[in-house]
Amino acid sequence: MTLFLQQLVNGVALGSVYALVALGLTLVYGVLKVPNFAHGALYMLAAYVVYVMLEDVGAPYALAILASVLTIAVVGALMELVVFRHLHGKTPVHMMIAALGVLFFMEGTADVVWGPDFRPVPTPLDGVVTAFGINITEQRVLVILAAVASMVGLYLLLKRTLMGMSIEALAQDREGALLVGIDTRRVAVLTFAISGVLAAIAGSLIAPLVLVFPLMGAVVILKAFVIVILGGMGSVPGAIVGGYLLALAETMAGTYVAFAFSELIAFALLVMVLVFRPTGLFRKGV
Amino acid sequence: MLARKLVLVGGLSLLAAACGGGEGGGTDDGVEVVPIGYVGPLSGGAAYYGRNVLRGLEMAASEIAESGGFMINGRPHRFELVTADDRYLPYETATAARRILQQEQMSVILVPHAGGIRAVQEMNLNEPRFLLMAYSSEPSILEAENPLQIMLPPRFDGYQRPFVDVLMPRFGNRLGLLGTTTAYGRAWTEHVTAEWTSRGGTVGRDNGVDYNTTTDFTGAVSRALADDPDVLFIGGPSQPTALVIRAAREQGFQGGFLIMDQAKFMEMLQIVSMDALEGAVGVYPQEYYPTAGTPGWVARYYERFGEDAPPATSEVAINYQGLHLVAKAMEIAGTTTDPDAIRSSFGEAARTIDDDLRIFDMTGVTDGGHLARAVYAAHVLDGEFVAVPIPVLGPAPSQ
Repeated sequence: MTLFLQQLVNGVALGSVYALVALGLTLVYGVLKVPNFAHGALYMLAAYVVYVMLEDVGAPYALAILASVLTIAVVGALMELVVFRHLHGKTPVHMMIAALGVLFFMEGTADVVWGPDFRPVPTPLDGVVTAFGINITEQRVLVILAAVASMVGLYLLLKRTLMGMSIEALAQDREGALLVGIDTRRVAVLTFAISGVLAAIAGSLIAPLVLVFPLMGAVVILKAFVIVILGGMGSVPGAIVGGYLLALAETMAGTYVAFAFSELIAFALLVMVLVFRPTGLFRKGV
Repeated sequence: MLARKLVLVGGLSLLAAACGGGEGGGTDDGVEVVPIGYVGPLSGGAAYYGRNVLRGLEMAASEIAESGGFMINGRPHRFELVTADDRYLPYETATAARRILQQEQMSVILVPHAGGIRAVQEMNLNEPRFLLMAYSSEPSILEAENPLQIMLPPRFDGYQRPFVDVLMPRFGNRLGLLGTTTAYGRAWTEHVTAEWTSRGGTVGRDNGVDYNTTTDFTGAVSRALADDPDVLFIGGPSQPTALVIRAAREQGFQGGFLIMDQAKFMEMLQIVSMDALEGAVGVYPQEYYPTAGTPGWVARYYERFGEDAPPATSEVAINYQGLHLVAKAMEIAGTTTDPDAIRSSFGEAARTIDDDLRIFDMTGVTDGGHLARAVYAAHVLDGEFVAVPIPVLGPAPSQ
């Protein structure tokens, strides 16, 4: 029972990161129909910004997160302005190839700047909380709390602000949004910037728990795609539920079957969803 | 992917003169250039590993060039490295090796992984013949009995018995398995399991995960600790291995770690403290290796690459040693182009190489081409590295 609870906590912490990455991905897909593989590179870059701020600049962790969020929001917006804006109306294959190109470009850039080394990021919160025989590090508590706060923030942004409503409008009907006077170009840039913020929060939170290296985004982005397909392409609640579901499935399968098997779970789930429920668990609706 | 030609510059004068060209590989100031191949990872997940290996080769090649070269028939020679990226994929290794052989004639190629070595074993006996320098501790690469092969590192199946000798009496007889799931990791897991059970110990469920693709190790660590082990078998690349140690200590594990030879203490110490490593057994940190040549080599390493360079690990040291041995063997054989003659001189080179270039206590080469030498592991006891001698397996050196 203790093991089960321990793994539940471990799974929720991992799921928080999965869900945050998947949210940015589903947002961009839902609104702009871009399967943005380069989202993984934003997550990787965010971790590097935190690394540079903590190691080279010597900034406190909170400032490092803020710097990461601002930087990656700008990089996300630039991605739209420089690449995807010009692909509007092209086939999904064009979009996908462009996104993969941006991913490889950014991985290559990180390799040139920081080298292929695994970089450890100093852990700002290195305490361990123990309750009912279960251990969880303070950093993981922060991951869970910050993820929930970000999800609530995203919900309020989409439902309660004019900006959010214009994003939703664009997701529902691009032409309609244009007709009622929404500046769709501005909204597209904003959507990319917000997805960058979500990737940055995920990358900044996980950086002290893992190793930072150029290919770290490639591993997570594949999982994020599984989550988005599992939850329903473009669905915000789907990305959240899917993120936690996948992390818990991996952790529990590892615990009660074999950990070597847990890496297969994501892709087994993907195939099952595509066969039995191609629309995903949640129908689209940002 | 792209075969890259890396010209090692031993000084600006060499660079300026290198454009002159000439017979064979080209000459400059009368120093003949001998190409040496490296086919291994330079990009992708194993790039860090590949660049460590290459740093050892570069250091040796630069030292040779700076000292005026090695002499063959009264003429000085130096090395030039020709590198090709196989991204750690065995099926790319043979293709990449063929490509650099087409570019340039060369008698020596180094490959730093078992899969690639096996692929190249199929081709190095056909024309153009070349000496395969094998950097892998997988003993099965000796089974091919390739007469043009030199295996540089110690074989990994020598470690398990002495590791168990140290850890079982100190911590107890329950072993948890948490190694990486690469082919090499699985082979280690099997050997450790066999050794541990043959001594009457019990082994828990295999909780191995792929150290290269796992984002979070806590789940696997929690599961392994649920069996209440006294010792954990862990290991993969150094840095993820250190994360596993950190997770285990955070979750209250007090026992010992039996660490696969892929992970290096000095790299793990960049992530965890010596306290966390208490009770760990792994390969001896190269910087403190208990041989006469080590301190001088370590000083030269940091002088060349700077104090901030990655730790001077055995990956660097063994390949550095290997290339200096190639120069010595060529000198003894009196040829840079005949791989059979170079191979036959290798044992003598290992015994007679200059003391300041000798990092390891080498005694020769076995019939199968394995470089024989004294090997040590380290046991972290009360915050200090204590040397654990590793018995040599396989036949005695014959050359």
